[in-house]
Amino acid sequence: MAGQATGRRAGRGFGRVLVTVYGILAFAALGRSSYELAVKFDEAPVAYALSTLAAVVYVVATFALAIGTPAWRVTAWITVSIEAVGVLTVGALSLADEHAFGESTVWSGFGQGYGYVPLVLPFVGLWWLWRTSRSTSEERTA
Amino acid sequence: MEAQVTRDAIAAPSVPPGSLRDVILALLLIVAALCVALAGWAGWFVARDRAVILNQLWGGAVIEGVVIVQGIVAIVQGATGAGADDPLLFWGYYATTLVILPIAAAWAFAERTRWSSVVLLVASLTVAFLEWRMWQIWMGV
Repeated sequence: MAGQATGRRAGRGFGRVLVTVYGILAFAALGRSSYELAVKFDEAPVAYALSTLAAVVYVVATFALAIGTPAWRVTAWITVSIEAVGVLTVGALSLADEHAFGESTVWSGFGQGYGYVPLVLPFVGLWWLWRTSRSTSEERTA
Repeated sequence: MEAQVTRDAIAAPSVPPGSLRDVILALLLIVAALCVALAGWAGWFVARDRAVILNQLWGGAVIEGVVIVQGIVAIVQGATGAGADDPLLFWGYYATTLVILPIAAAWAFAERTRWSSVVLLVASLTVAFLEWRMWQIWMGV
C-alpha cells in the first residue's frame, strides 16, 4: 500500500507537486520568451532564443512527467536532463561573463530571477524519475 | 484627499487617476489576501495529511471571480487611455494569473492524498506573487 501513496506513475503523489511547479515554470518561461520574441528579439537574439528553448523544454517536460507512460518517461528523462545541463552551463557562463548572452535568460545566474527554482527543479525531477522507475520494477518482480 | 496626495507622490508619474488607482490597489490586495488565506487553509490540510476538499475549490472560484473583476477594471482603464505602460506584459501576467488556479485545482483534485493540498498551496502562493508583479507592471513601479 505504501507504493500507492508515492505512486507508480511519475505524475502521482509527490509527482503532482513536481508537475505543478514544472507547469508554473513552463508558463513563466513561455510567457517571457513569447514576449521577448514579439517585442525585442533583435536586441539579444542569442539570449531570447535560449529563453525560447528553455520554455519549450519546460513545457515538454511538464507533459512528459504528467503523462508518465514509458515513452513519455524517456522524454521526461531527456528534457529534465537538458534542463540540468542548461541551467548549469548557462549559469556558469553568465557568472563568468555577465553579458555572455547579451541579455539575461531564464537560466542566467543559475535561475536567480526565478528564485533558483530552475536550478533545483531538474535535480528533483531526475531523483523522482529514478525513484518511480525503481518502484515500478520492484512491483514487476513482486 | 490628503492621504491620496501622499500616495500619488510615491507612485510613478504615469499612474491612472486616484479613484481608479484605489480600486485597482484594493482588488490586488483582496486577491492577494484571499490567496494567502487559501494557501493557509491548504497548508493546514498538508499538516493534517488531508486531500483538497470541494470547499477549497469554491474558495479558489471566489478568487477567480475577483481576478475577472480585475480584468474588467483593466479593460475600462485601457479604454480611458490610462492603461498599463506595457499592455502586452500586463495581459501576459493577467492571463497566467487567470489560468493557474483552475488548472492547478483540477490537477490537485484528481489526487486524493495530502500532495493535492501541497499543489493548492503552491498554486495559491504563485497567484499571490503574480498579483504583486501585476501591481508593479500596472503602476509602472
